[in-house]
Amino acid sequence: MSSQTLSPAGGPPAAEQKHTAKERGRVLPFPITGQEIVLILVIAVLWAALAVSTPAFLTSSSVVPLLVAMAPVALIGIGMTVIIITGGIDVSVASIVMVCAVIVAKTMVSSGIPLPVAVLLSVVIGGLLGLINGVLIAYGRVHAIIITFGTANLFKFLGLQIFGGTTVDNIPGTLDFFGRGAAGRTLGIPHSFLIMLVIAALAWYYLRHTAGGRHLYAIGNDADAARLAGVKVQRRVLLAYVLTGALTGLAACFVIARGTSTLAPNVGAGMELAAIAAVVIGGTSIMGGRGSVLGTILGALLVQTVTSGVTQLGWRSQLSSLFIGIFILIAVGADLLRQRTRRTA
Amino acid sequence: MSETGTTGAAESAPPRPAPTDAGAERLSVTGVSKRYGAVRAIRNADMTVRAGTVHALVGENGAGKSTLIKILSGATTADTGRITFDGEPVTIHTTADAIGLGIATVYQEPQLFPDLTVAENVFTGREITRRGKVDWAAQNAQVVELLELIGLPARYSTVAVSELSIAEQQQVSIAKALVGNAKVLILDEPSAILTDTEIEVLFGVVRRLAASGVSIIYISHRLDELFLIANEVTVMRDGQTLGTWPIEELSVRRIVELMVGGILEDTPPDHKAADAPPVLVLEKLSCAGEYADVDVAVRPGEIVTLYGLIGSGAAEIAETVYGMRRATSGRMLLEGTPIAPPSPRAAKKLGIALLPANRKLQGLFSFQSIAFNISAGHLPLLSRFGTWMDRGRERTVARDFIKRLAVKTPHERQPVSAMSGGNAQKVVLARQLVERPKVLVLAEPTQGVDVGAKEEIHKIVRSLADEGTAVLIVTSDLPEAIRVSDRLQVVRAGTTTVEFGPGASQADVLAAAAGALDHEEAA
Amino acid sequence: MSTAVSDRPPASAPQDSEGSGPPTSRARQLLSGVVRALLTQRIVLLLVLLVAVVITMTTLSARNYLSAPYDLSYMSATLISAVPLVMLGLAELLVITSGRGGIDLSVGAIVSLVSMVFGFAYGEWGWPLWAAIVLAAAVGGLCGAVNGFLIAFIGYPALITTLATYYAYSSLAVVINNQQPISTQPIQDFFSAAGTVPVAGLQVPLGTITFLLPTAVVIWLLLNRTTYGRRLYAIGTNDVAAQWSGIDVRRTRFLAYTAAGIISGLVAVVTVAQFASARPDAGVAGNGMALPAITIAVLGGVAITGGIGRVAGVVLATLLIVWLNAGILLAVPGNAGSQFQLFALGIVLIFAALLNGLTQRKYGGTG
Repeated sequence: MSSQTLSPAGGPPAAEQKHTAKERGRVLPFPITGQEIVLILVIAVLWAALAVSTPAFLTSSSVVPLLVAMAPVALIGIGMTVIIITGGIDVSVASIVMVCAVIVAKTMVSSGIPLPVAVLLSVVIGGLLGLINGVLIAYGRVHAIIITFGTANLFKFLGLQIFGGTTVDNIPGTLDFFGRGAAGRTLGIPHSFLIMLVIAALAWYYLRHTAGGRHLYAIGNDADAARLAGVKVQRRVLLAYVLTGALTGLAACFVIARGTSTLAPNVGAGMELAAIAAVVIGGTSIMGGRGSVLGTILGALLVQTVTSGVTQLGWRSQLSSLFIGIFILIAVGADLLRQRTRRTA
Repeated sequence: MSETGTTGAAESAPPRPAPTDAGAERLSVTGVSKRYGAVRAIRNADMTVRAGTVHALVGENGAGKSTLIKILSGATTADTGRITFDGEPVTIHTTADAIGLGIATVYQEPQLFPDLTVAENVFTGREITRRGKVDWAAQNAQVVELLELIGLPARYSTVAVSELSIAEQQQVSIAKALVGNAKVLILDEPSAILTDTEIEVLFGVVRRLAASGVSIIYISHRLDELFLIANEVTVMRDGQTLGTWPIEELSVRRIVELMVGGILEDTPPDHKAADAPPVLVLEKLSCAGEYADVDVAVRPGEIVTLYGLIGSGAAEIAETVYGMRRATSGRMLLEGTPIAPPSPRAAKKLGIALLPANRKLQGLFSFQSIAFNISAGHLPLLSRFGTWMDRGRERTVARDFIKRLAVKTPHERQPVSAMSGGNAQKVVLARQLVERPKVLVLAEPTQGVDVGAKEEIHKIVRSLADEGTAVLIVTSDLPEAIRVSDRLQVVRAGTTTVEFGPGASQADVLAAAAGALDHEEAA
Repeated sequence: MSTAVSDRPPASAPQDSEGSGPPTSRARQLLSGVVRALLTQRIVLLLVLLVAVVITMTTLSARNYLSAPYDLSYMSATLISAVPLVMLGLAELLVITSGRGGIDLSVGAIVSLVSMVFGFAYGEWGWPLWAAIVLAAAVGGLCGAVNGFLIAFIGYPALITTLATYYAYSSLAVVINNQQPISTQPIQDFFSAAGTVPVAGLQVPLGTITFLLPTAVVIWLLLNRTTYGRRLYAIGTNDVAAQWSGIDVRRTRFLAYTAAGIISGLVAVVTVAQFASARPDAGVAGNGMALPAITIAVLGGVAITGGIGRVAGVVLATLLIVWLNAGILLAVPGNAGSQFQLFALGIVLIFAALLNGLTQRKYGGTG
């Protein structure tokens, strides 16, 4: 069990005993973990390799679509990070994207609503769907994977009903601000990416510097001990799913923005897996209790780099899934190693 | 053997704290009782703790100490009785109630969050915030103060708890308990996992707290320590509080006599172990960090008991015999041949069986039937070609054991989750006996078992020995250890010490285990 | 995760009956007994629901509310979709019962990949059918063994691992033949394997006889009559106690995932026959096959924490879903019908999970 040296009576005084506790002069642990540094390096290497093999890679016509594509996944990933830190998971986000997207698109087509209203509508609907998840998981005491499997189906049904068997056409460019064309960028960087970064920074701050944020980690470490310490476990878990739903609603707007003027019922397909992959590759432990938003952003960037890179190189696009799967396994393996070298189980 | 029972080190130890506000009653329980189903854990317990004193609570396993502590800490509620705090009657229904009153409890297993830092752990649930943001500097400042009080380095404040040793984690738990301005601090076996130096530091903290008016309820099996730290002692036995005495009026021997009560001084049956060579021999067996230089020999038909308190290393010795743990030096011999089983499967093949200490966690398949539980360890035997279950044979074997061990059940298909502790324990024991083992190791064989079943299990073990099995019992239950064994070895601080033959007095054994009888042989 | 209160009495321990209320009537005792049986004996509940569905549908049919008659021949024709469902449901039964958060999200991806492999072997390389089937089972087993190795021997969490292998296998399936399905002549002729045979006057899909029944029987024997089955239930109930009892926990768990892979490989053969084409997205199209399989397992009484699950439960749950879906298709024709099936599946899963959780807490598990 424990590997500490329990010396029999008359052992050496405490000062001489070895500790592996690391020296930290700061008030808090360092903001970047080893895994995130590795990720930055890997991304840098990949970008360098791609730039060498396809000179077109480092032009804005490649990089900007890459950022636009990864923004919604990263945004959902922020919420997913929070959920996974508490020890849960949410596989219904893809369906939430579909529902929010179809409602917003249809409303834009029929009523010509302006951008702020569209975004508000999407966020509220996403939040409500997230609330359903949250209530069932926080108070139903059933594993999140099963519940969200079920709600994924329910929301998909809802979305398909709203689609009514056809696509939504002639979607106006209200949401272009988020990333299409020159109007969608500032200094060449798409707005959706910038907005995502801002939200990520807020989330990072929340997780690191507020009591509520730290409570989420406590819940992921030991929900019972957290409850005994006075943490409102159920409320926090509920909020995590509501927040993710809201962020997914915003991400749906990003998805509409980067698509064509036609929205098909397969919108959002696979995004839950991409978000989970981003979170796990980013170093957040699937067991809960550990993780950071920065890692998720990097993970999403890596996932998108792989996808775009595969296309740029002219390889089959499905190969990107293979690489993502391998990256996930490597990341989880690294997490396992980290757990093994801890002193306590 | 000195009457006062103190060790030499006590002479140079700082004086015990003089109670401030001597006589000021802080916490008092009267007439408290609690039952769990048919078992009465405590009945009519009375205890009064004064401000600024270190109040020791002692008693054998099962005497009711843990239940009393759970009631005080709010983890459970009493069925009857009154609790008063500072003279006012109070109700404690939840842990939050207890904490709100100022009663802080530090359990043996630190309830910490491994991935959070020490400072975060201390302040979880009561963070210091400034305009929404956690005030890390203020928290750290307080934690550093506490760490210095506890004797840990200040820089630990920003270290993740998972990087600390178990002993250090426990000290962090104590720090956590102190943040809430506790008026009563309950320490449950704090010294079990500490080295001597760490214990000294702990005592320093306890003395300082007492001097500042905090009452400390100190639960420990290590009676010699009490003479270094406690002001008063409450002794519990069989769920009742026998009384409270100032430490000056007591000695280790006297405390032991109170704890034990002199009821179970049976003369063990006249039993001659075979003079055959030992079946199992442990020679200078060591496992780094757990135990060292262990010497044990068990002959066929003999019952040898390793008696040790928690943290003594006895449980880990048993695990090594059964292949759950690897020794790092020394030898283990089975019928003269050196062995080092790498797994329980290997140990079983060699003919070693083990009844695990924690029935619920390590022994029972809770919602499966009795037959399932018994056959789980012997699937190849109870099958054809090792693949097809021979359910008829399984049924027969199960029924046979139900009868032999007097398991109270209508049939072998009953799920074990519905059974009492004693009956369930018999089922797990049955599993060990299916393929007549050469060596049977029993870890805490009657923990959580009622008196009647306890008696029966002892008889069963005795008859097994009579049939030639070599039995090694590892237990922290003193009366059991004395009743059943032919030879009893005390395990303390990771090594085997004094050995007693049949007819040892409980007082002597307990004293030896508590450290008052180092290196003395008893008759 | 340690709790301080170590010897707290179990939640299901009987309360001290201090003071009794008014004596309950015989009828109320009978009612509570029935409720208890329904909740704890999943088989009973499923039979009741199955009967309810069939009666409802045949009544609606008799009153001409349905677009086509819901009779025995329709019911037996729809059994074709039961074949892959039961088999994958049994695969999930094995891995979920093995405990430690066991689950397999990759079964659909394995189906896709093995479909292509089978397509190559039987459709292009001219292998005899039996050899191609053996190959399918072997490749599926290999895929499952990768899962099993990572999860049982290395200690990877099952959920995220099978998610990763889902990614990997589904991409391999597409890449292996450049996204093209294989529909050569032998494959098209193979469609005859998806035909029906007359049994007791009804046309029963061949697949139920050749694949579904043998698989169900084999798994039933495995779980109920072999030592392996005991070991599987043991590690799922309490793998620490299993270790102390001398059971090889890791090997038992590894074999569960491998077996799930083999079953998925056989499902691939069935799927190719059904569509007369080896499609690279066979198991991952739409929702994928993993979700319905897991739904059926959970509905069939498999406890997500392990140690509990019966073949009969999975079979009955499949029949319930299949015949319910068949009825929905007739009641709500067209696209709306298949969408409503989604809704039904989602609701059923949540309901079944909540029910499983409730009975585990109140009664200590389903039978």
